[in-house]
Amino acid sequence: MSAQIGELIFLEVLAARFKIPTPDFVVEPVRQSDVKQKLAAWGSGIVKPDVLAGKRGKAGVVREVSDCHKAMTLLKKVAAKVVSGQQPRTAYMVQTVPADVEVFSAITYNSRYLAPSLTVSTKGGVDIESVSEADKVTVPLNVFRGLNAYQASQALVKAGLPEGKLNSKLALCLVKQWDMFSATGMQSCEINPWRVTRAGSVCACDFKGTFDQNNIKFKDLGFELPEYPTSVDAFEEEMNAWAAASHQGQAHVADLGGNTILPMLFGGGASTIAIETLAQAGGDPMFLSDFGGNPPYERMKKTAEICLRHKFADASLLLILGGKANNTQIDITFAAIADALQEWVDEHGPHPIPVVIGRGGPGLVQGFAVMKKTLENLGMPYVFFGPDTPITLVAAYAARLAKQCAKANGGAK
Amino acid sequence: MIARSLSGLLKKGDRVAVSNITGREASKVSTISQQYCGNIVAGWALGKAGSRIEVAGGKSIPVYGQFDEMITQLPEKRRPTKVIVYSPPDAVYGDVKEALENHRGSVRTVFVITENVSIEVTSKLRRLADTEGVDILGCNTLGVINVHDKVRVGAVGGDSPSETFRKGSACVISNSGNMVNTIASYLQSAGLGVSYGISTGKDVNILTPLKDLLPLAMRDKRTSMVVLYVEPGGVYEAEAIEAIQKARTTKPILVYVAGEFAESMNISLGHAGAVVDGVGSSASAKKALFDEYFEVPVFDADDRRKYSKRMSSHPRGLRVNALHDLVPAATALMAAAKIKRDFAPLRPLALRPWFVELGALAEVLPRDLVPYVADIPKPYGKLVKHYVTSSIGRVTSRQPMRDASHASSNDGATPRVYGRSLTGLMKTSSFVETVLLYWLGQPVKHAFEARLFDMSLMAALTNGPGTISAQGAKLSASAGNAPNTAMMATLGSIGTVHGGNGAKAARMLIKVFRDTDLVDPYDSSAAPDLDALVSEFVKQFKERKKIAKEAGVAYEKVPCLGHPVFNTEAVNYDPRERVIDEVMREEKLYNVFLDFYHRLARGMMEQHATSKVHAVNVDAALTCVLMGIAWPLLVDKKITVERAIDLPFLAFALGRVAGGAGEYLDHRDSGTAMDMRVPVNECRFLGRDQD
Repeated sequence: MSAQIGELIFLEVLAARFKIPTPDFVVEPVRQSDVKQKLAAWGSGIVKPDVLAGKRGKAGVVREVSDCHKAMTLLKKVAAKVVSGQQPRTAYMVQTVPADVEVFSAITYNSRYLAPSLTVSTKGGVDIESVSEADKVTVPLNVFRGLNAYQASQALVKAGLPEGKLNSKLALCLVKQWDMFSATGMQSCEINPWRVTRAGSVCACDFKGTFDQNNIKFKDLGFELPEYPTSVDAFEEEMNAWAAASHQGQAHVADLGGNTILPMLFGGGASTIAIETLAQAGGDPMFLSDFGGNPPYERMKKTAEICLRHKFADASLLLILGGKANNTQIDITFAAIADALQEWVDEHGPHPIPVVIGRGGPGLVQGFAVMKKTLENLGMPYVFFGPDTPITLVAAYAARLAKQCAKANGGAK
Repeated sequence: MIARSLSGLLKKGDRVAVSNITGREASKVSTISQQYCGNIVAGWALGKAGSRIEVAGGKSIPVYGQFDEMITQLPEKRRPTKVIVYSPPDAVYGDVKEALENHRGSVRTVFVITENVSIEVTSKLRRLADTEGVDILGCNTLGVINVHDKVRVGAVGGDSPSETFRKGSACVISNSGNMVNTIASYLQSAGLGVSYGISTGKDVNILTPLKDLLPLAMRDKRTSMVVLYVEPGGVYEAEAIEAIQKARTTKPILVYVAGEFAESMNISLGHAGAVVDGVGSSASAKKALFDEYFEVPVFDADDRRKYSKRMSSHPRGLRVNALHDLVPAATALMAAAKIKRDFAPLRPLALRPWFVELGALAEVLPRDLVPYVADIPKPYGKLVKHYVTSSIGRVTSRQPMRDASHASSNDGATPRVYGRSLTGLMKTSSFVETVLLYWLGQPVKHAFEARLFDMSLMAALTNGPGTISAQGAKLSASAGNAPNTAMMATLGSIGTVHGGNGAKAARMLIKVFRDTDLVDPYDSSAAPDLDALVSEFVKQFKERKKIAKEAGVAYEKVPCLGHPVFNTEAVNYDPRERVIDEVMREEKLYNVFLDFYHRLARGMMEQHATSKVHAVNVDAALTCVLMGIAWPLLVDKKITVERAIDLPFLAFALGRVAGGAGEYLDHRDSGTAMDMRVPVNECRFLGRDQD
């Protein structure tokens, strides 16, 4: 699991902590007199939204300004403008920094080396994916020793920045970038670009990064990560918090925006396959889920409760699907789901939508027995499949059944 | 990679040690592994030194406090060659480091099962592995199974590895642990068994990636085909294809790539590493990579013939778009590559529901959406009969109960029994009513049930000082024991022969009545045909008795019929049972089970199974009283059959321990020290002196 951060927290906290040179900046809300004073000193500034938009999502919103009134208007506008579906937290204006060279640098864990790596390019300042591989230099790093100035300098030489004052200065900055990456438990961090002048000024002019939430250093950063307005709905938000509450059993969901099938899926692979099949067969699943990992009864019961509370009333079909489990106790997970279903009906009244189950693994038959009895008590139609029916066939069947049920109910809700 | 072959990862003779072995998952999986292949030599867990993991039908596993302590104490020949890590995420690095620094040259492979290990730690593990010359699989691997050698590490195959993994020639390598199992079970329909099942894990960094495993599979003599389950993230597959292209040996690869649907959405899939993180790491890029390498388009189940034409006699492989197409695609690959089946194929994969109840919905659905119930395959059919279609008794799920109870609770102010406050019960209920609540989970339905239970407990109090249980109390008093010890001595002196017959009687009654329509055991008008039941029972009893006599073995007596004291007449009675029966008659109460017992006693004589009418003894009466209370709960599936069977013995024990207390008090007050001792000269030696 990773947590994304934007440039503003880098400017406000991280850059200063790791002595990485950055441009001056102001953050909305800001007094007009401050903006006026800054622009007078800077010449011009760049207004940006503080938003967690992926890739170059915010590129279209970024504007250069030199006029104070324009800057004030833009700061307000940009702070309110949705970027790639994300609402900004605020807007900020950074000093325009001159550059003779723009350098891209990224430190990330690399699946080819199974180690961290440094990637640099002197074709920075543009979308790095549009830069050819030949113009990028990637060097693996020793996770214990990290990046030293010599390695950084050599990488820059290979990327086309010859040895000399500029190279040395930037190499030292890259070492600081490593220090930040390593000390805060990051998974990746990218500075694009470093704006470098021949006179020897170096400035980190845009930043994006992700923390590895499993890294113990992330748990003790020494500052609060800012809360961004989220497009995640209440269901996903509650499930995310519940997922983070324990490592015993998965409670992963991702909203898919569907309206028909409520899928409780088990296993990272099985859940991917099931959703893929449902999507191909027009099944309209509400979300992707993975509730595998042998959850104890209490964990599974609350997971099921959250799913049912948010989604059950709108669902036309409940799908409980997983492969042949190695470790997950089916009787425990099914008893928990059955109890959660019973409690939902006790509280809200009957909701007799069909339930399709496909599963295998330890305690399967006991689990089926518990589930069968509960569904019969609740008057819910059901079809159960064992491990001799492939999950893809079960998912395709559920998709067709859900479509029929939605049609019978007067069309998809 | 250190291993030079797949068997280098795991083979027969490898010795396995398990970290954090006393944890919930590790202890369960280790127990099953030990029963399957017995390859675990030890485990370690901080603070648990000296304990053992007991394994039913297998060798128990010693637990040490630390790895170093384990290595020091194990003889050299018993030292582990493999280590499985179940430590919590933050402890993984320390535990692996400790193992690798102290293994004294014995460990060759480490399997990290733990999920949610940080990427930084994973990278450090890789460096450690390289430095120490070991292989590390994971993190978040499920383990490996070597089917030909019948050994596994981790949970591959779940609780019954033999059911899914039959010896064969397909090596399954999967990003998902569950898919190793699932794919292996599907391949049986193509007549393909498994040589090795390998779960790589799917964290961002896979420490033993496909580029290391695939060349080993290509060289493996037992493997004729490789089956891959692949997810987005990383460039592992591209590297693997590069690696095998360099090598000369190739074997057909069957691959399923999942996760393309997520490319247009900003969502994360189930596995941490299943994220597109650069060029060539998406599902679509991986599909294109395999298609290009195979030089054959993705498998189309509707047009199978074209593949046999297009594939050479040395096909590189096939990609499928649906998991269930693995079977026809495997069959096509086997035909092209002339790979022999490992066994006769199991039935083809199809939609085979085990239970269907669509009710009114079935009437409005197209016919193909109302599937017929299929035959349930072995070994599930028998289990379904036991757990699902049996007419009575609740099926419960199991969970760790150390700190949990359905029976009692205490919120810090009020102790409760099944949710009812004990203080409230003290005001409104009797002792016996509360005991029945505690035992059954709900109050008794009829007041007379508590009265009859009360009588049963009284009947169980004593049968005189000579009974074994009373003797237990007296022995304890004679030895100068405390009251609780004397009560334990009483309980210790009852067993399946003395007092435990009630359990046998309960089992017998359930067997006789479970297939009848009996609902209310107190309604004589709705009772089943008891004479017919008795007649059938006696007939079967006589057959069993005859067979046993012919075989010269003891036959099983009818439980709770006859009594060593009340057995001198042609028609015998146990006076305690008589009292219960008479009170019921006076109060016009009927109990179908007691009626059955009386008819059975007479029927045994009338059908010449016995020479006289044996007494229906007090254990039978007690059992019938409790079965009367329990039967409606069994029919409603509110209690388990096992609980109903335990009730009579528990009732006898409760009554008799109170009686034992009486014997203790009397003996302690009036007996002389050690007066239960048998003088030496009264003891007989039945052997022969040897010196």
